[in-house]
Amino acid sequence: MSVIATQQLSKCYGLRRGVDDVDLRVGAGEIFGFLGPNGAGKSTTIRLLLGFLKASSGNATVFGQDCWSDSATIKQEVGYVAGDVRLYPWLTARKALQIVGEIRGRDILSDGLQLADRFRMEPDLPVRRMSRGNRQKVALMMALAHRPKLVVLDEPTSGLDPLMQDTLADCLRELAAAGHTVFFSSHTLSEVESLCDRIAIVRDGQIVVNEQLSRLKARAPRTAVVTFESATVANSVTVPDFITIQSRSNKELQIQITGAAVELTHWAAAQPIIDLSVGPPNLEHLFRQYYKGNAARPVHNAAAGGSAKDAADMEEYVPFPELENS
Amino acid sequence: MKGLLRKIFMEVRWPVLILSIGLALIMALLTELLPKVLGDIDKVFAKLPFVKPLITALLGMDPGEAFTAQMTQAFLWVHPTVLSLIWAHELMYSSRMPAGEIDRGSVDFLLGLPVTRWKLYLSETIGWILSGLFILCVGFSGHWLASAALQPEMRPGAYATFGIITNLMAVYVAVGALAFLVSCNSDRRGRAVGIMFAILLMSFLLNFLAQFWEPAKTVSFLSVMEYYRPAAVIQSGHFPMTDVGILLGAASVFWIAGGVIFQRRSICTV
Repeated sequence: MSVIATQQLSKCYGLRRGVDDVDLRVGAGEIFGFLGPNGAGKSTTIRLLLGFLKASSGNATVFGQDCWSDSATIKQEVGYVAGDVRLYPWLTARKALQIVGEIRGRDILSDGLQLADRFRMEPDLPVRRMSRGNRQKVALMMALAHRPKLVVLDEPTSGLDPLMQDTLADCLRELAAAGHTVFFSSHTLSEVESLCDRIAIVRDGQIVVNEQLSRLKARAPRTAVVTFESATVANSVTVPDFITIQSRSNKELQIQITGAAVELTHWAAAQPIIDLSVGPPNLEHLFRQYYKGNAARPVHNAAAGGSAKDAADMEEYVPFPELENS
Repeated sequence: MKGLLRKIFMEVRWPVLILSIGLALIMALLTELLPKVLGDIDKVFAKLPFVKPLITALLGMDPGEAFTAQMTQAFLWVHPTVLSLIWAHELMYSSRMPAGEIDRGSVDFLLGLPVTRWKLYLSETIGWILSGLFILCVGFSGHWLASAALQPEMRPGAYATFGIITNLMAVYVAVGALAFLVSCNSDRRGRAVGIMFAILLMSFLLNFLAQFWEPAKTVSFLSVMEYYRPAAVIQSGHFPMTDVGILLGAASVFWIAGGVIFQRRSICTV
């Protein structure tokens, strides 16, 4: 049985579409990456899963129970960190653990304090005197202290320094290894890539990719540089179909291949080359294609509040500017 | 529920304590000063004619008619400062959840916990009722201590005082329940407080206008002050059963409506 299952899940805010026909299945022990730019529908999907929002159509279940009507029961085994953590100014980590423990009906103080120690935070510092990163740590501690069967994290690394990001990743890997499920929402490709087994990419409220990371990597293009014995050979060489030449420079040929490099090595072995350098799968390039492509773009019509201008704006829309510049 | 009540206590303890002490001091001061001021009330009425209908509206009866020494104490319970303090607490409290929590963004924390929305609503309600009782009791203690200095014939009977406090508590419950209903329909605390402030102001205005404007009289039953008449309670010595019943009935409707809306609505902090 899937821990999370949604079927044609949609949420409209008036005429605006939040998420549209989302079908997801996340199994036990998975670290599932939910990737998308700001405003793509990640938080809306999470809020639907946690029963904050009522779906306009479709259905969503967690542990086989309805996300709206059985929300309180579901959350006994869920730990959640909101995208924008806002806490009470008077709250300290210790008080938070006491209050949450009383609400959950179990003592989580000692486990929580161990986490506080791991995240290097002071348990008696009030939220009003905390930095953004420390507030994030309090939220993470409250979400993880009861060792939930499902952890739902909405952009949890914002405000955390790289060391704490690593600590969080370790905690999540430990949970997953123990059979717990992690639903990890982010707009940063690198952290999802390093942590998740499977990812879904959401764009304009629709899932455009839902696949194992290993399969995506197999489809991702690689860049290779082939150095020939002479510039003459480099300029005159013909390449097979699976190779795309990107540039020629003196003795060097910069090429792009898709998939495994075995065919390239076979071809290169028969060429008068002096060096071959093959890069890792370029997921960023693949993701950019998903974001910029038209194939899975939701239909914009008048009923959905869309217009010709919206469509024109979409053409220039760059969801991951940091990737564009990289 | 215990954790939620602890969280509420941590949040409201200081404002409630400060407000209670403030109310006790003001009630003690008014208890001491009112007999002196009201001794010259006829001169005030002659000089400022609009004051009489205003006081009549607040008291629920004409202060010129059969006004006994005991009934001067009724002014205490309708004094604008006293009512303002109680309602200020009420509006601030009742708008905390869900409007205030949504506005602040902390509702994500609450809704992420394994509690039903009814439980959240109920815990806020318990805090609201208990804090209201606490404020009224501390306020009354200020009056009670100061009234020791009054002549015995000026002190209202214990039963009448109990009737007035119960009536005031019923007003508190009715206004608060309406504020909860408004809060449950709002994502902005400021908006919820603003709407409730406007409603209370209209209520006062309606009560005032009803003294001399016939069309206002026909709809004056909509004013909360129509069901709070301390002077009449002191005069008759009877418990204001009908007024309290109407106020609590209205409060029940508002509270349940608020709860149902909170239970059914989508909540989004962005």
